[in-house]
Amino acid sequence: MSLALNYIANSLLILCLITSIIQSRFLFKIQDYNLFSISQISAIQFLSILVSFFILIFLFITSDFNFDLVYFHSHSEKPLIYKLSGVWGNHEGSMLLWILILVLFNFLFSISKSSSKEFKEITVAVQSLMIFGFVLFLLLLSNPFNINNENFNDGLGLNPILQDPLLAIHPPILYIGYVGFSLIFSLSITGLLTSEVDKKWATIAKPWVFAAWSFLTAGIALGSYWAYYELGWGGYWFWDPVENASLMPWLSATALIHCVVVLQRRNTMQSWTMVLAILTFSLSLAGTFLVRSGVLNSVHTFASDPGRGLFILMFLFIILSSSFLLFALKSEKINKPSSHNIYSRNTGIIVNNWLLISILSVVFLGTMYPLATDLIYNQSLTVGPQYYAISITPIIILFLFFMILSPQLSWGESKLLKILNEMRYILISCLTITFLTSLYYDLFNLTEILIIFLSLILIISSLSSGLNFKSTKVIVKSNFGQSIAHAGFGIFMLAVVSNAVYSQEKIYDAKIGSKLQLDEYIFDFKNIEQEEKDNFNSIKAYLSLSKNGRDLGEFSPEIRFYSDPPTITSETSIIHQFFSDVYVVMNVPQNQESISLRLHIKPFMNILWLGVIMIILGGIITAILNRKKYEENAIN
Amino acid sequence: MTDTVKKRLIKFLVSLIIFGIAILIIVYNLRDNIVYFYSPSEIIENNQTGSQIVRLGGLVESESVMSDGDSIFHFKITDGQKQISVKYQGILPNLFAEEKGVVVEGIYMNDGRFIANKVLAKHDENYMPPEVIKSLKETGKWQE
Repeated sequence: MSLALNYIANSLLILCLITSIIQSRFLFKIQDYNLFSISQISAIQFLSILVSFFILIFLFITSDFNFDLVYFHSHSEKPLIYKLSGVWGNHEGSMLLWILILVLFNFLFSISKSSSKEFKEITVAVQSLMIFGFVLFLLLLSNPFNINNENFNDGLGLNPILQDPLLAIHPPILYIGYVGFSLIFSLSITGLLTSEVDKKWATIAKPWVFAAWSFLTAGIALGSYWAYYELGWGGYWFWDPVENASLMPWLSATALIHCVVVLQRRNTMQSWTMVLAILTFSLSLAGTFLVRSGVLNSVHTFASDPGRGLFILMFLFIILSSSFLLFALKSEKINKPSSHNIYSRNTGIIVNNWLLISILSVVFLGTMYPLATDLIYNQSLTVGPQYYAISITPIIILFLFFMILSPQLSWGESKLLKILNEMRYILISCLTITFLTSLYYDLFNLTEILIIFLSLILIISSLSSGLNFKSTKVIVKSNFGQSIAHAGFGIFMLAVVSNAVYSQEKIYDAKIGSKLQLDEYIFDFKNIEQEEKDNFNSIKAYLSLSKNGRDLGEFSPEIRFYSDPPTITSETSIIHQFFSDVYVVMNVPQNQESISLRLHIKPFMNILWLGVIMIILGGIITAILNRKKYEENAIN
Repeated sequence: MTDTVKKRLIKFLVSLIIFGIAILIIVYNLRDNIVYFYSPSEIIENNQTGSQIVRLGGLVESESVMSDGDSIFHFKITDGQKQISVKYQGILPNLFAEEKGVVVEGIYMNDGRFIANKVLAKHDENYMPPEVIKSLKETGKWQE
């Protein structure tokens, strides 16, 4: 049985390899193969990987320990959902998932109707060439279907820190984002090859870019939310190299989505759009694989294998050098002469593109600097979070300013005074609100006040530009997605700053029956209980929370002792209120009498996630909004 | 040189200068915020006392962990050759244990003690911070 499945799965992978070669024929101008249509072959390509992915899922569910991967990463007593997430909780399985999404995008594009036949053929060919590379990598260097000849009774388990429902869906979502940019990359290469980077190109690319960007945003947000409640360090972003690795493609992708809009509307910025498309995909590749290869030192890295890292670096090098060579050869041809007024929306978007790239450089240097010093001077060091805060804050202030200004500018020519006049009510009301709140909350830091002020203007001006209030009816305008996302970013920034200023934390050595206090909250420490669960033992502490005599709920922070592999985890306990989260983490008890508890007050966390959800929604709305409407608009 | 080429050259140079200045500011800022990592031998050798925050890594020496209540802990970090006494107030990570790898962040005092404000959490029992592996290898204490 195991042997048969091994053969079937490997044959399917080889089938995918063959179909990818057939698909890439268009690149070499071989057209005489007409047995199957392009979308049919893409369907075979997709199905072959889908079935082999299902085989892997089947192996994990049935706990077939004849397969190395299952033996090392699963255990017969794991709950079903974690057997499932174990499929992509390791290097080989996540590679297969990556390839599955790669072929899925290829298939979806091959059946889409937005592009001409030739354009589609070349795009699919480029995409298939990449599929070929990755499937080859999978077969040679990280085959998930390797068989062992031992008869193991049980597996070595899955890291319990990864046994979390959120973490089960975090990688697939993030991967859809990362891999989505592979299609944008293929589209760009096709655009360069055919010298057709114009309004039409942007119209074809737009829904894919926005979809990939939305998934990437959602993937990063899920990871951040997981870190917030699972790691129990009280933060949601740690500037960890792995987090940075996902933030970098996001920053360049954010610049890219705006350029695609400019390209569609104004038919300019062709070269820059291509650079961003190539950059985003390269950073996505680096993001996924440098993380998994163990080059980056982090709590997230699993196993390290220099051979794999080397393959990915080579792949990255080939992709980067060949695409930039192509770009250098073709950039003259794709650039159309353009002139635009300096007081136009173009300028605003270009400035913010630069600011995004500046943030990207800050993050890049901060992430790479420790690697470089380790290699060159053999000196280990880390970059403190202060570096990011100090470097990024001034950029963010400028960024918010241009984010408010740009949508107010027209594509043609605008008068700044007129805009100021139109916005006078918003400006005055936001100024008043900021003034009053900072007085009320004793806020005297100019930077913080400035960010709050700008965020408020951004929220109000974005929302009012996306909706049209006409007496009784509310009309949703075509830029609705943009206005939701921009308002979401304003809300997000507002929450980030308030959270940073008003977070509180205290550690107690607490005895049962004692009352602990933090700010206005009273924590009543009631009891400790021990429990035995399916795959772990736990110690739970029970506390109740009250504020001004009002009961707000129960905490039950927990320490879990897993046996496979032996690991201890803390489960934080959070009480969400509208304006602030209150949360408790407990320590492994060192003695019988008392226990260390860490109490946190995290204001505006709900608001922060609301902002993030709005950003994602904005992207999705833009991705699916009627394309025809945009084409009509593009003419003016 | 034609006009367009001239224009382009100026554009290119201006953006190069702006970019260069930006990078300089970033790197300057970076240097103020880096946290160096040392093993006990290195920290004694370099005599890195003072106000600078550094990281110290090694193994927690056996039978060295003591607590005097109020979440204050004392323990020793060793790399097989030298030991450093560490004082820490706070919650110890779950996998903190004697004879296991640990990384602490804080200040190395003049009297040879290390006041830690952070003990870094790692999640896997078998996980050893790469810096610790490196320093253990240097003192010959590491076996593959």
